[in-house]
Amino acid sequence: MEKTKRKTVPLLLALSLCTFWLAGCWDQTEVNDLAIITAAGLDLTEDHQLELSIKINVTSSSGAQQMGGSSDPSGGGGGQSIVRSVKGKNMADAASKLQQVMTRKVFWGQDEVFIFGERLAKEGLSEPMNFLLRHPGPRERANLFVSKGSAKAVLELDPPVERSVADALRSMAKERTGLNITMKELAQMMTGKANAAVIPLVEIKHTQKPQDSFPFIHGTAILKNGKMIGRMNAAATRGILWLRNEINRATVTVSPKNSEGTVSVQLLRGQTKLVPHIHGDDWAITAQIDAQDDIIENTTDLDLTNPQHIEVLKSELQADINRRVRTALTQAQKKMKADIFQFADAFYRQYPKEWNRNKGRWDEIYPKVEVRLQTNVKIGKSGLIGQNLF
Amino acid sequence: MIITFLKHLFRSDQLRSENAGAQRKKPHAQTELSKNLGENLQLFQAIYADCSDVIFHDFFIGGKKRAVLIYIEGLAHVEEVDQHVLAPLQKDIPQGWTLTDVRRNIAVSSIKPVTTVDHVIEEVSAGNPVLLVDREKQGFSIGLSKWEKRAIEEPSAESVLRGPREGFIESLLTNTAMLRRKVGSPNLKIKAMNIGAYSRTKIAVVYIEGVADPALVKEVMDRLQRIEIDGILESSYIEELIEDNPLSPFPQLLSTERPDVASAYLLEGHVTVLIDGTPSALIAPATFFSFVQSPEDYYERYVVGTAIRWLRYLFFIISLLGPSLYVAVITFHQEMIPTPLLLTMAKSREQVPFPALVEAFLMETMFEALREAGARLPRQVGTTVSVVGALVIGQTAIAAGIVSTPMVMVVSITGIASFMVPRFTMGIAVRLLRFPIMFLAGFLGLLGLILGVILILNHLLNLRSFGVPYLSSLAPAKSRNLKDVLWRAPLWMMNTRSTGKRNFYRQTAGQRPGPAKSDEGG
Repeated sequence: MEKTKRKTVPLLLALSLCTFWLAGCWDQTEVNDLAIITAAGLDLTEDHQLELSIKINVTSSSGAQQMGGSSDPSGGGGGQSIVRSVKGKNMADAASKLQQVMTRKVFWGQDEVFIFGERLAKEGLSEPMNFLLRHPGPRERANLFVSKGSAKAVLELDPPVERSVADALRSMAKERTGLNITMKELAQMMTGKANAAVIPLVEIKHTQKPQDSFPFIHGTAILKNGKMIGRMNAAATRGILWLRNEINRATVTVSPKNSEGTVSVQLLRGQTKLVPHIHGDDWAITAQIDAQDDIIENTTDLDLTNPQHIEVLKSELQADINRRVRTALTQAQKKMKADIFQFADAFYRQYPKEWNRNKGRWDEIYPKVEVRLQTNVKIGKSGLIGQNLF
Repeated sequence: MIITFLKHLFRSDQLRSENAGAQRKKPHAQTELSKNLGENLQLFQAIYADCSDVIFHDFFIGGKKRAVLIYIEGLAHVEEVDQHVLAPLQKDIPQGWTLTDVRRNIAVSSIKPVTTVDHVIEEVSAGNPVLLVDREKQGFSIGLSKWEKRAIEEPSAESVLRGPREGFIESLLTNTAMLRRKVGSPNLKIKAMNIGAYSRTKIAVVYIEGVADPALVKEVMDRLQRIEIDGILESSYIEELIEDNPLSPFPQLLSTERPDVASAYLLEGHVTVLIDGTPSALIAPATFFSFVQSPEDYYERYVVGTAIRWLRYLFFIISLLGPSLYVAVITFHQEMIPTPLLLTMAKSREQVPFPALVEAFLMETMFEALREAGARLPRQVGTTVSVVGALVIGQTAIAAGIVSTPMVMVVSITGIASFMVPRFTMGIAVRLLRFPIMFLAGFLGLLGLILGVILILNHLLNLRSFGVPYLSSLAPAKSRNLKDVLWRAPLWMMNTRSTGKRNFYRQTAGQRPGPAKSDEGG
């Protein structure tokens, strides 16, 4: 017994060691053999082909650096990046053709930005999204944008402040002045009951020096059934943010009646709750908007230490928020008839039976849903300066 | 092929041990001393033939009866012998003296009768002069041994900022005395034995009666008595011969040069083995956590002790997994690295011709080589090594395009981390284990790394030191004992001993100090 054990243990050890050398390391890739994609853009060409453009960082140092034998090959990391593009029948076709034009292994793992051209968005995003969600490489956390014009043009930008165009777009989305939609969120919206989605719209801000042009988020693309059906401007986007409970940073400026000047408040916390009601055939939604604000500027003659004046200010602020929300609501509900606020899910959650009975008619019901706004603004800190000092 | 090699190894091992057994047989085992001094003398002169340092001093007690004093030059205090043994015996002894008179006339407090040849040899080797008298079957061993020894110094491997500066030395008696001074109670028991057929090394097993588990003491004694070896030159000989799993890379006995550490463990119910000729004492049983604790933890404030302990745990993990994690992530899981960092890494790796695994292996080996060279070289040359090493590991290696900048950083951090482990034996075990894990990580990525960690954890969970699970008090977890593992509890909270059920409470509970709750206060 002891003797057989003595034999088998080293034998097993030797055999298991062999697996390393026999099997090799199939997944192993050195970082310097990777083409690291930082952003990808998808466009529809004139002849209805899909054009996939990628932005990759060039990590190999330039010839000058090599000759100098510099002891600091780490460098700054900024600057050099190139755009490559290929055309294919669909996304998968284009992605596989991409490897043919690349000397290094295409690596999707760091791709944090996908930009869809407007033409493609209007044609439908479900095809490329299907590939992107199936492929293990691209991250579900990647940000999505729709570009006014071609996506490739956005990729080709090299915005001055940030490391790359991907960084620029990502940090702008994170700042939450507009929408911040990731691949996962788009997938959720597209599979949700409402079947409508929003994606931030990217525009190129042209400056006098072409190399200083930069992309910025301006408005929202509205998608229904995976196809872009319209866009909303920046002001209406604020309304979308309020209703989707994504408001994060806002400065509201109002000029109260009966007084000159303006009061500006900064949002501390904002929360929106959608409460659906069904009474017979009347479908209604109450949007309870709670906001807490700090006063940051006051040039009116309102005395902010006076509770009555605060009340006046409150109603002004509430009216302003309501106005913003209404703008977005009218456009989405009445004009585009796209349920981008996920009312459908709210109804489904509250009234599953009614929903199931009526889900075929949702497109009919949605424009008629009555939306009541219950906005409640609290002014937290009025500051120590009551009245305008000047 | 490997199997036949192993077979060969084991067989030759057996042969060797049989040989050794033959040599070990002691010819004079229990031979009594003869009544005839001439016979005795002849015997010992034969035994100590060609031993130029053994002196046979022939003289007459009271000018009448022949006697012989046997001692080893350099081990016996000759002046004292002359003054307090020879002088009184030759001059002041009364007429018609008996053996008792002889004993009384020797002005030395430590004097023991010896009756067997073996005993005489033992005493002489220990440096005690032995007096043999004609027509007596009994001799005396006189405790006048004295030899050169090192002064008590601070052990350089276990230095502390606060705490006693004394360390064990090579003399067993001094070491036991140091322990006795720390633990004054007569319950401190010191059992002596000799191990080593040729070296006859004195070993002392120290424990506190009533605190240490008698079964543990018996086990230690049994294991020590089983040893049959030619010589014991260092505590590691004993360690390797009595540990539970001799093939494990992890040390299972704690060795320390500090009497305060040894005493602390004695008070916890552990057994300490002191070995003559080496300043390091062995403590059994030892758990994993005793190797990552430093005496300073207990001498500093408990918050500091706890923080430093956690820092050590963190760096222990880094020293085990640092390069492996880097290799795994950079060759298999690039998506886990933040984009800007990945780009910088890719840039710095651009000119490196080797895969990350080879690069890591190269640098780690280089680091180990430098450490070893620095540790063995004389101090004057050591500086050169460190300067050259800094150049090799640092700037020039990068400039030459052999390694990348992040790799140098990883290797350096790992190097520092491995020195954070306060016990060298544990530190070096971790440093060695780093290499297989590095290979696993290089071949299988994070999967391999976790595989390696699981294997090591498995081994650690299996490991025992004198019956105590190696990972206790974490596994098996005892919430009471975690007070010395997860944090260093304040002393007034350390009410219980962690090992054994005997004498469970080490102090009275509720000793938390505070201002007196007096009535007139406030």
